[in-house]
Amino acid sequence: MAKSKTYTDLDGRVFGLATLAPDEAALVEKLQKYAKEHPDWFEYGNYWIAEFAKFRDKRGLTRRETIQTTAYRIGQDLESRIGLATGMVRQSDYRDELELLIGTKFDTRREFCEATGLSEDMLSHVLAKRKHLAIDTLADALARIGYTIRIAPLPDVR
Amino acid sequence: MADEPMAECSFLIPVSRDAELSDGQPHARRLWEWLHIELETRFGGWTLAPGVFTAAYIDPDTKATVRDKSRRYTIAIPENEIEDVRRLLSGVCVLFQQKCIYLSVAGRVEFIEAPKRGKK
Repeated sequence: MAKSKTYTDLDGRVFGLATLAPDEAALVEKLQKYAKEHPDWFEYGNYWIAEFAKFRDKRGLTRRETIQTTAYRIGQDLESRIGLATGMVRQSDYRDELELLIGTKFDTRREFCEATGLSEDMLSHVLAKRKHLAIDTLADALARIGYTIRIAPLPDVR
Repeated sequence: MADEPMAECSFLIPVSRDAELSDGQPHARRLWEWLHIELETRFGGWTLAPGVFTAAYIDPDTKATVRDKSRRYTIAIPENEIEDVRRLLSGVCVLFQQKCIYLSVAGRVEFIEAPKRGKK
């Protein structure tokens, strides 16, 4: 039986645990227990994906289905929590999100700037943490490429 | 899938940004989450070797000895997907702010760099 009926991740998403299938609920409980008893980022990282792989293979999940499962999301979230608590990982801020967006959706910073209307010089200063973007400027720029800013609860680490 | 020849690929991802190229700080959590999703959706999963891998090497730019700590990932893929791994790791170089990434394909080592043009 799950200890708690819900799990809230670092992004504020709430996962219902009571409705999980028995095998997935058991995996989530196992991962939570292991994370509590082994708060070592390297050790937990090795453990959770090996345990998750057994579950994935038994279920015969597709690659896309895999990352949508509650067990995957919680397993990954627990890794992030341990990483944050031990200083192995930084909490992401909006600049990290921007860098990831540029790196995965655009070939170059220039291409991103052309699409959003931001100047390359300004973007460079922002990513180097020398300047901030005004929130309305950022919102307008992101809207041009189909993205938005979201306000979320501050993560409760651990 | 079982009929295709599979290759084992292992690569090291340093746990911090390159101190000379960047600031030497730990990576943002979103980056690790992104990497894992890429490995899962592109290659059907990964394993992570237990423990931390410590490396020491001479930085070709500064000639200084650099020591870093890494995680070692392993994936098993059809041989015709090795180029996809190289492409992913080239992008990882940019996002994780590394000069290069150590990749071992069936025991043969190569160093993957960021794309020559494009992303800064």
